[in-house]
This record gives sequence, structure tokens and C-alpha cells, in this order.
Amino acid sequence: MLKSILRSIFRGDPPSTRKGRSELVFYNFWLHIHPAKVRKEHLRLRHTGYLGFVSFFLLLILGVTGLALMFYYHPYPARAYQDMKDLQFVVFLGPFLRNMHRWAGQLLVVAVFLHLCRVFYAGAYKEPRQFNWVVGVLLLFLVLTLSFTGYLLPWDQKAFWAITVGTNIVASAPLVGPVVKVLLLGGHTLGTQALLRFYVLHVAVLPGLAAALVMVHLWRIRKDGGLAPSPFQPEESSPPARERPIPSSPEKTYGLMGIVTGKPAFEVLVPEEEEAVFSYPYAFLREGIAFLATSAAVMALALLYNAPLSEVADPSKTPNPAKAPWYFLGIQELVSHSPALSGILLPSLLVLALLLLPYYDGNPSRRPKDRLLALSLFALVVLAYLVLLLIGLYFRGAGWSWVWPWAKGTGGTA
Amino acid sequence: MVLGLAVGQRHRGDRMRDWARLVFFLLCLANMVLLGLALARAARPGWAAYQRSYHRLEAQYEPDAAAKAAVEGTPVAIAQIILPGLQRVDRCTTCHQGVENPAMKGAPEPFSYHPGISRHPPSRFGCTICHGGQGLATDLAAAHGRVPHWPQPLLPSEYVRASCGQCHTKGDVPGVPELAEGRHLFDSHGCRGCHRLRGVGGTIGPDLSREGATRRDPAWLERHFLDPRAVSPNSVMPNFHFTPGQAKELTYYMLSLTGEEMSSYYTSESVIPSVPYGRELFARKDCIACHSIGGVGGKSGPDLEGVTRRHSARWLDEHFVNPKLVSPGSTMPAYDLTADERTALIRFMAVATGKDAEALLAGGAKSLTPEEAAVEAGARAFVHYGCVGCHGQGAAGGVANPNSQGGQVPSLIHVADDYKKSEVMAIILDGKTPAMANPSKPAPPLTMPSWKGTVNEEDLHNIVEYLWSLKPRGESSRW
Amino acid sequence: MNRRSFLSLSTASAAALIATAGMGLVGLFRFLLPRVFYEPARRFKAGYPADFPPGQPVFLPLEKVYLFHDPAKGFSAASAVCTHLGCTVQWSERDRQFECPCHGSVFAADGAVLRGPAPRPLRWLEVTLSKDGQLQIDKNRSVSETYHLLVPA
Repeated sequence: MLKSILRSIFRGDPPSTRKGRSELVFYNFWLHIHPAKVRKEHLRLRHTGYLGFVSFFLLLILGVTGLALMFYYHPYPARAYQDMKDLQFVVFLGPFLRNMHRWAGQLLVVAVFLHLCRVFYAGAYKEPRQFNWVVGVLLLFLVLTLSFTGYLLPWDQKAFWAITVGTNIVASAPLVGPVVKVLLLGGHTLGTQALLRFYVLHVAVLPGLAAALVMVHLWRIRKDGGLAPSPFQPEESSPPARERPIPSSPEKTYGLMGIVTGKPAFEVLVPEEEEAVFSYPYAFLREGIAFLATSAAVMALALLYNAPLSEVADPSKTPNPAKAPWYFLGIQELVSHSPALSGILLPSLLVLALLLLPYYDGNPSRRPKDRLLALSLFALVVLAYLVLLLIGLYFRGAGWSWVWPWAKGTGGTA
Repeated sequence: MVLGLAVGQRHRGDRMRDWARLVFFLLCLANMVLLGLALARAARPGWAAYQRSYHRLEAQYEPDAAAKAAVEGTPVAIAQIILPGLQRVDRCTTCHQGVENPAMKGAPEPFSYHPGISRHPPSRFGCTICHGGQGLATDLAAAHGRVPHWPQPLLPSEYVRASCGQCHTKGDVPGVPELAEGRHLFDSHGCRGCHRLRGVGGTIGPDLSREGATRRDPAWLERHFLDPRAVSPNSVMPNFHFTPGQAKELTYYMLSLTGEEMSSYYTSESVIPSVPYGRELFARKDCIACHSIGGVGGKSGPDLEGVTRRHSARWLDEHFVNPKLVSPGSTMPAYDLTADERTALIRFMAVATGKDAEALLAGGAKSLTPEEAAVEAGARAFVHYGCVGCHGQGAAGGVANPNSQGGQVPSLIHVADDYKKSEVMAIILDGKTPAMANPSKPAPPLTMPSWKGTVNEEDLHNIVEYLWSLKPRGESSRW
Repeated sequence: MNRRSFLSLSTASAAALIATAGMGLVGLFRFLLPRVFYEPARRFKAGYPADFPPGQPVFLPLEKVYLFHDPAKGFSAASAVCTHLGCTVQWSERDRQFECPCHGSVFAADGAVLRGPAPRPLRWLEVTLSKDGQLQIDKNRSVSETYHLLVPA
């Protein structure tokens, strides 16, 4: 009886046989994005750092904690701040969930950034994975926008003025800037309409877009031939000695369900037995570890550190200095020098450079020693942005004047 | 098989090491422990311990063991008072459970009884409107407001009564003479000349309409009144040489200026209709001009001694509103009085005697011609708008204004000799920057601001009449 | 690692996961259960006995309660919520009964159903004296229609 119930739910054989393990993967809705077998090499920590998984799990944690927090939050200025206090003092597990949401958000920005660096370093954006890189960069912007829209919701002084600064930076973009600002704010000042719009963006529009793009991103990994091999291997223009290509022939087709005829788009390379292991249990176990490690880290941070909350937002009192959220401080630093040129033009050029990277990078090699220029340029840009960010964080005081962080009161943001 | 699904069974021929299973297990444990810690922390809030202590205390008053057990077993819960009219929520009674229980007189804090609040029950007023602090919080330091980012910590206990002035903005408050005294000092020293308050006043100093909400440190305020530059180094505020008692009274008044938005339920009691307030109104409206008390005073209207024995309070109240309707043939005008003001007058009349009448007459209440009335009104307006703050008491000058010609804000006693009335009105409306004695030195800190929009026509006219009346008698006019 | 110790590891992991999930569900349930209510309090003080002289019952609009003062028997409080579908009933002094404007239910002065779709009599609520001498009404506690609180003068 039990067996037939289980069989009706799980359909495939139990995963104690090779057939069963394959069927576990393809017959399962939640798991079928995985290949039935993965290369051992790809499971090593040093191959990807599991950064993609960590980013994904952080997004899941944010979604779940965010959903819970929605039960106690009213996106209305007179009430939002009180709701934050309620979450802190009255709601069971309120502080824990709020802290989890905040730290997961900060960690996500760091994780996607590191993931981008890793993909760049491994040259995994090159043929045939160019489009997936573009999707990834779009996801990076979505994550930053999610973080920015969420930043306003507590409606405290830090939130209010950080978003005031942020929307003014947006407004200084040529041509479209002012219109985008009015669209974001639902008006010309930061108030009731803006809070509602930011809330709708944060809980519905942006998560929806992010979910869609994540699905495309994961789908493309499979379609582009799986994870890119390590950049330390010899050139793969000739297939690696330990893989045997399945010869294509007029009669053999590899199409879906045998309906689509014709030759496959890429030569199918089947890794040798020693190179690959079943996804179940090896890949899933390691994914489980990545998930548990991420959630343990987020929970530990949530237990140890409280998310900050300053005074209730007061439009008539500007704190000095007023700083954008930390990931935008590099831009704020640039903007402080000259709004249009360095504040908008330069970052826009950088954004375009990042987005279109795989299309102007003609170098087919993924080996580091063939790409020294690209790697150095990238490192330089990252370093420059980090320096600007650190300056904005620690070296700027009242009136955006230069201060030494060991002198009193510079106020970073978190 | 299901368990195997969770962790992964080994299969003959597997070639990877399984340290991963150990790590997986350890992480499962870690997550369980962390979540357990979070739940444990959430389930043991600090306030629950206080409530349980209170229940044990209450149980002592129960007669038998069963009743004691019942009380000690009362479930703990956060106590919340929602105050929409005051736009706040107070949770202080979560720990301060004994405030309305007379049996808790003398109990250890935080359980002791709060006497004297029968007119201000916690269910309508909460706690923070008087005491300050953070009503939304449920742990000790945060609730007492002594944490960063909460600008209103608990007021020290000797200053709590200053909060009465937030609602009771006029008249005196029984038991808090400092408020009325402070208000009087503020008016008579012309503080409004430099400090705007509720839309009326000068712009040389900061607007004080919300001073009590933003500056909650009584010690700072007192030091400031005793010596402004001791706490505010670049201040141009003169040292008025207040006594410590006066500084305290002014501090009370400042603390009461919170600019809170309250529903009319709270603001309708802006004046407590007390006997002293009634006496003040009686003098201000100059009732003694027509009425006598105990035979002393005016003869046009009836004697008022014991009038409350002859007429009910309701009759007297209606009479104030429309004397000719209630008392046909009366020549008494209908004064514009609020209900509280009428109650105050009635209460005063209930106890007024001939001695009060004599005091009123000695205070200079007499019948005035329209010109004299204008000068009197002008003198009051001169104080009300704070002109004395710069031009001195009685417009005699004496307030220093460095680097202006003459080194002082000018005295206005002889203004009638040097200007036409229209010129003075223009100066009041448009303002005037004083000429510098030495152009290379910094500009004088005190300037005459523009009062257009703040001073109305009638007050403008009266002030000018008052200034014209200041010329010492006997001097001939030069015009 | 041999099969036995492996199996126990497997079981232990599963057990820990199930425990964590269970704790999570309990936590979620308690999280969703509000600890403060943004509503009028269910147990509240109506005022001092002296504020409610005998005669016509006083309607407390916020809490939807009628407070009666019988000179002989004392104080009693009836919930003004109709037991049919929750409308607020109105007391008619002339007929000495409660009338519901929504579907015409009529309740006698003791709350019994005289007419109309209402299935049950009106609830009478516990009235006690608080520690500071005020009348305290508790909507969480129902009492019989004969319950009264006698307050010594």
C-alpha cells in the first residue's frame, strides 16, 4: 500500500540503482534542472566556490523571511516606523526574522559580486555562454535595485536620506534622469507615494523579474553545455583526451523525445566514467551543504547583530553627512566630484562595458596567461571602485569633507 | 528508503569520499542549534519575568492558597494602550503593572502605585505623554528611552510636571506654578523678539515651537538660561541674569513646548478653569468698571458678591453668552469667552469679596478712553511680540548690539520726536538693518526683522500709539 | 566509514532536519499569532460606579456594550452584538427590549430572543470592580443573565 502511494508520487525506481538515480533527477519537478551526472571536477569547492548556489539560497531566504515580515508591515509613512518597532519589541521571532532579512540582503550583494568575479576569472562568459553572462549582469542590477528599494521601507532617517541621495543621483542622468526620478517617487518629493511604489517594487515587481531571470539563468547553464571547465586545462578546441565524442551519423538523432530530427547543436561530449558521478547523492549532498552553511551563517549573524534603526524619518532635518547605501557609495563619491561626468557617465560606461563584455572580448582562450590584459583591467576597475567605496564609507564626514576615520564621527552605513 | 533519500545511500562502485556526509550532518546540527537558540530567546522576553514577579506580589494579598495559585497562574501578556488622539502606543504597563492598584502603594519598582491620576487615567493618556520614554519598547533600556536614536528619554522626576503645559497651555495649573511663572517670564522679557513661538516672533534665535520635543535635557536648558554662551558658544543671546529659580521656571515652560499634534479631546482642556484664572480674566475684561463686589467698584451693574447663591451656574453661563437674552434690558456686552473661561469666572465670583475688588482697583483697572485703551493695548502688544527683548523694558533700550552706531539697540522713548507715525509703521513692517559703526568689522548681530504678516493692523496702530505715549510729559514736541 | 556508523549519521541528519523544520513551523505559527491587538481592549474599565446612575442603560460605543444599573440588584453588562450576524442592537427604552436593525431580531431586557432570526440570547459579560474602584467589563467572560455586581454605596 505504502509502496504504491510512494510510487504514484515518485514514479521512478528507488535511487539504489543507477537507473533509479537517473530517474530521480529527470522525473522530479524540483530537481530536473540538474543533469543526471556531473563531473567530479565541478563539485570541488575551488571550481565555483558554490557562489551561484549561495546567491540562489540567499534569495530564497530573503523571499521566505520577507514574506513573513510582510504580515506585520504597513507601507505607509506614519505606520512603517512603528511596525519596525513592533517587529523589534513585540512580535515573536520579530527581531530574528528582521535581522535575517537584513543580513541575507547584505550578503547577497557581496555573493553576487564575488560570483561575477569568479565567472570573469574563469572566462566562463565566453562562447557559448555569452548570453548567460548578460542575464547574470542583469540579475546583479536587479539585486542592487532590490536592496535599494528595501532600504527605504523602515522609514527611518538613514533610509529617508539615503534614498533622497540615491534618487537625486538617478535624476542627474542626462535626458531620462528626471523622468525616472518622478516615476520612482510617484511625485517630486519622497513621501507616501514613494514608499508605496518602493514597496510594490520590492515585494512584487522586482522579485518576479528576478525569479524569471534566475530561471533563464539556470536553464541556460544546461543548454550552454553545463558549467565551464576549469581555465587551467589545456585548450578545449580539441576535446579532452578523457572524453569520447559520440560520433554523429545520419540515422542517429539526439533531439527531444525523438520528435526533433537533425544533428545536435553541439557535439555531445560524454565524460568518462571516472570523471563523472551521479547527481544523486554527490551533487545534492554538496548543494545541501551549501544551503545549510548559508542558512547557518545568516542565522548566526541574525542572532549576534541587530539590524540598525535610526530615528523616525524627518524631512525637515537632514543628517550631515547623508550617505547612500554602502554599495552605492562609490558612485556617490564620484558624483561629489562632478555630477554628470563622473557620477553618471563613468558608471554608465562601466555598466555597458560589463554588460557587453562577452561580445567585445574576442580572445577565445580561457587560460589566465592568455588573458593578462583583461584580468588586470578588471582587477583595476574593481579595486578603483572599492577604493571609492571605502573613501565614501570611512573618509567622508560632515558636508562630504575629508575626515580621518580615527577622528571622531564619520558614520558608515550598513 | 526515505531516510536514504535525505542523505544519500552509498552504492557499490561509488568513488567519492564521504567526508561530505559528516559536514552535512554537522551543518544540520548547527542549523538546529541556531534556530533553537532563536526560539529560546524569543520565548523568554524580559517583561515576562517582571510580570510573573508582579503576580507573586499580588498573590500575597489573596486570602487562601487556591486564590494565590490562581493569581500566580495568570498568563503573561504584553499590555498595550492605544492612544490615537495622541498618535502613540504605550506599553509601559507591561512591566509597570501596579500603577492603577492602590494596594501597591510603596511596592518596589516597577510595581508601585501611581497616585493622583484619576483625572488622567492611563487608558486615555498612557504614560509617555507626561514622562517621556519610548512607549513602543518592551525592554528596560529601550523603554526608558536611554538608547541611541530615541530622542526623548524619560524626564527626570522633578521635571515631569512640566509636561502638564503641553495640554494646559493657558492659565495656571494647580500644583505647577513654575509653568505660569515661566510663561510670564518669557512674555515679559520679550523672548519672542528673537525667538518665534507658534508663528509669532523674530527670527534671530531658533524657533521654539518644538523646543520641548527636541531638547529634552533640563540641565542643558537651565545652564543656558543662566549663561547662554556657556552652552552655546557663538550665541548672541544676552545674559538676562536670571536667578536659578527663574531658570528652572523657564525650563519648565520650554519642556512643555512640544508642539505635539493632539486630538481635540486633549486640547479642549487648554485652560483649567481655576479661581486664579478667573480673577485674571475678571481683571483683563475689566468687569470692575461696571460691577462692584461687596460694594467696591463700578455702579452700572449689580453687585456680584454671592451671586452664585442667587443664580445657578447654568444661568450665569448662559448670561455670559448672551446677557440681553437672559436678562432683558441689560446693557452688558456679550464677551467672547470659551466655556472654560466662563467656568473660571463663575468660580472666581463664587469666592470673590470686597478685598478682591480693592485689589483689582489698585491694580490700575479703571475706565479708559479709546485713546488710553489703544495705548494700553499697544503696551501689551509691545511685550507680546517680544519688542522688549531688543528695545528693553519700557522701550528704554540698553541691549548691546556690537558695531552698531551707538553700540546698542536704540531706545524708542523719543521716537515721536524723530519720526512720523507712518515712518515708524513702515519700519515695523519692513524691518531695518542698523548702520555699522566700523565698516571693516563684522555686521551687528541684531537687526530689526520685518513683522509684515505677523503683526496685524490693529496691533500696529496700537503699538505706535504706545510709542508716542512714551515721550516724557513736559517735553515739547519738536514737530 | 562502515555501513552502521554511516546509517546512524544518515538517520541523525534526517532527524536534525526534521527537528529544524518542526521548530521552524512552530516558530512560524507563533510568529503569525499576534501578541498585541490593535483593537479596543477586550477587558476594559468603563468608569467609576458614580458615573452611571440608575435608570437608562449607558451604551459604550467603542466596545459595543450596554451597561445597566439596577438600583436594587446592581450593575450588569450586555454585549450589543446581535447573535445572528453581528450587527449592533439598539435598546428601546419605551419597549424595554433590544432591537436589531439588520434582520429584525428582538431581544428581551434579559437578552432572551423574543423574535427574529437570532439563534441565541445576547451575551451578558462579567462586570467586576477593579483594584482602583472602577467598573471593569471583561468581554472574554460570559455570565448568566441574572448576574449583577452590587456595589456598596
